[in-house]
Amino acid sequence: MSDALLSFKDVSYRYPDGTTALNNCSLTIRRGTRTAVLGANGAGKTTMFLHLNGILRPTDGHVQWEGTPLDYNRRGMRDLRSRVGLVFQNPDSQLFSASVREDVSFGPMNLGLEKEIVRERVTEALLAVGMTESADKPVHNLSYGQKKRVCIAGVLAMQPEVLVLDEPMAGLDAAMQTELTVVLERLHASGMTIIIATHDLDFAYGWADEVIVLQSGELLAHGLPAEILQQEDVQDELGAAPLVAEITRTLSLIGIDLRDKGYLPRSKNELLKAITALSIQEKTS
Amino acid sequence: MLIEQSAYTNRWRRVSPAAKGTFCLCGMIAAYAAAAPTTACGVAAVLCAVTVLGAGIPPMRYLRVAAPALLFLAVSALSLAVSLKIGATVGDLSLHLARTELERVAHVCSRSLGGLAALLFLALTTPLSDIISLLRRCKLPDTLLDLMTLCYRTLFVLSETVHETITAQSARMGHATITRSLRSMGGMVANLSVQVWQRSQALHLAALARNNDGALRFLEPDYPDSPRAISLAVISGLTLIILAVSLP
Repeated sequence: MSDALLSFKDVSYRYPDGTTALNNCSLTIRRGTRTAVLGANGAGKTTMFLHLNGILRPTDGHVQWEGTPLDYNRRGMRDLRSRVGLVFQNPDSQLFSASVREDVSFGPMNLGLEKEIVRERVTEALLAVGMTESADKPVHNLSYGQKKRVCIAGVLAMQPEVLVLDEPMAGLDAAMQTELTVVLERLHASGMTIIIATHDLDFAYGWADEVIVLQSGELLAHGLPAEILQQEDVQDELGAAPLVAEITRTLSLIGIDLRDKGYLPRSKNELLKAITALSIQEKTS
Repeated sequence: MLIEQSAYTNRWRRVSPAAKGTFCLCGMIAAYAAAAPTTACGVAAVLCAVTVLGAGIPPMRYLRVAAPALLFLAVSALSLAVSLKIGATVGDLSLHLARTELERVAHVCSRSLGGLAALLFLALTTPLSDIISLLRRCKLPDTLLDLMTLCYRTLFVLSETVHETITAQSARMGHATITRSLRSMGGMVANLSVQVWQRSQALHLAALARNNDGALRFLEPDYPDSPRAISLAVISGLTLIILAVSLP
C-alpha cells in the first residue's frame, strides 16, 4: 500500500512491572485519514500512542514509518517526532512555560529552527487554533479548553504530518467541543493525518474515516466506522452503539429503511435531514 | 497574585524588559551608593513614584505588596538598634539603645528601602517569564533558568491542586475539627508527593514528545523600539546614580 504512513507489525509491549499493555497488534494508518481509537480505560490507547511517537519501544514486533522500521537513535527520533505530533490528555502536564507564546515555541526551538521561522510558526499555530488574542496571556489565566488548544498549537508549530490526540474532548463543554471539531476539520482539509483516542462513540461514528477498537491490549477491530461499530463484539466491548446507528437500525425494523433510500446518516444532523427529506417525499407522493 | 496581576496589566507591560531591568539595577546601585540615609530614602521615593505614577500601579496595591517586606525590615531594624545588656548581678537585664548604632541602622534601612523599591519596580512591571528570558540573555546558567521556568509554571498547578484537595476534604468534613484538619493536611501532603512524582514523569514524556533533549528552549519575546527604551532607562538610571552620589 503506497499510502501507508504508520504501521504496527505484531507489536507487543510489556511495562517493566510485567503488565502487558499491547499484545501482538498489527495495523496501518493511511496518509490523510482520520482515525478514531476506541477502547475501555486501560485497553492500551495511550501506550499505542506513545509507540507512534517513539517514546516507547515495542518489546516485540516493530513500528514502521512509510514501510521502514523506526530508527530509535537520536537522529531517527528527531525525525519521527517532528513528523508525528502527540498531544497528551492533561494540559497541565505538558505546558512548560507560563507564557502562551513561549510554550508554543518550545517544539520548533527544539528542532533547532531559526528564530524568525519559529516566530512565524508560533503565529500560524496560534491562528490555527484560534488563540491569537491570548498569545500574551499567562497560561494559568486560561480556561481548560484554551489550555488544550495551546497544547495543540504547541504541536502544530512543529508542522507534523500526523497529529495524535489523546482524548482531546475530555473535560470540554459542548461549545468548546464543536470549536475543536472545526479546528480538526480544518487541519484534516489541509492534508494532515489525524488520530484521536476517544470514548465518544457518536463523535467517532460521525467524524472518523476509520476506527480502531482495542480490547485489553489486543486489536479487536479496525475498519470503517459504519461496519465496525455495528459489530456485536465491538458493541459488547464498548458497552454501547452510536445513537445515530441505533436509530437508523430501529427505523429499519419498523419498515423505514434509510439505507435503501440512499441515506447513510453518520451524525445527528445528517439523520434529521434524512428523516425530513423522507417525510417530505411521503407527503408529496 | 497581586504582583502577578500588576505585572500583566501595568502601563509599561510592553516596554522592553531589558530597559526595565537596567533601570532597576541603576536604582539599586544608586540606593547603595547614596552617602546619607536621606538621599537613599529619596532614591526609594523616586523609584516608588516612577512605579506608581509611571507604570500606573495603584498606590494601595503597591503598599499591600510592599507591606510584608517593610514589616520584615522594621523588625530587623529594631533588633539592630536595640541591644540587650546583661549586668554584673543575676537578673540585671536592660535594653540598650545606642546613638551610634542608630545612625548605622538608618543607613542600612534606607539602603534596603531603596533596594526594595528598585526590585518592586521590576517585579510589578514585568511578568516573571519576561524576567527569565532577560536573565537568559544575560547568560545565566540554563539549569537555573529551567528550574525557574518550571517552578513558576508548576506553582500555579500546585496551588490549584491544593485548593481543590482542601475543597474536596472540607466537603467530606475533613476540616471540621483541628485534629481532623491535621489528619487531612497529612493526607494531602502524602497525596501531593505522589502527584508531584507522577507529574514530573508526565512533563518528561511531554518534553520528549516535543523533541526535547536537555535544556528547555523558548523563543525570546520580541519588544518594539527596545533601543529607545533602553537608552532612556540608561540615561535616567545614570542620572539617579549621579544624583545619589553627589548629594550630601
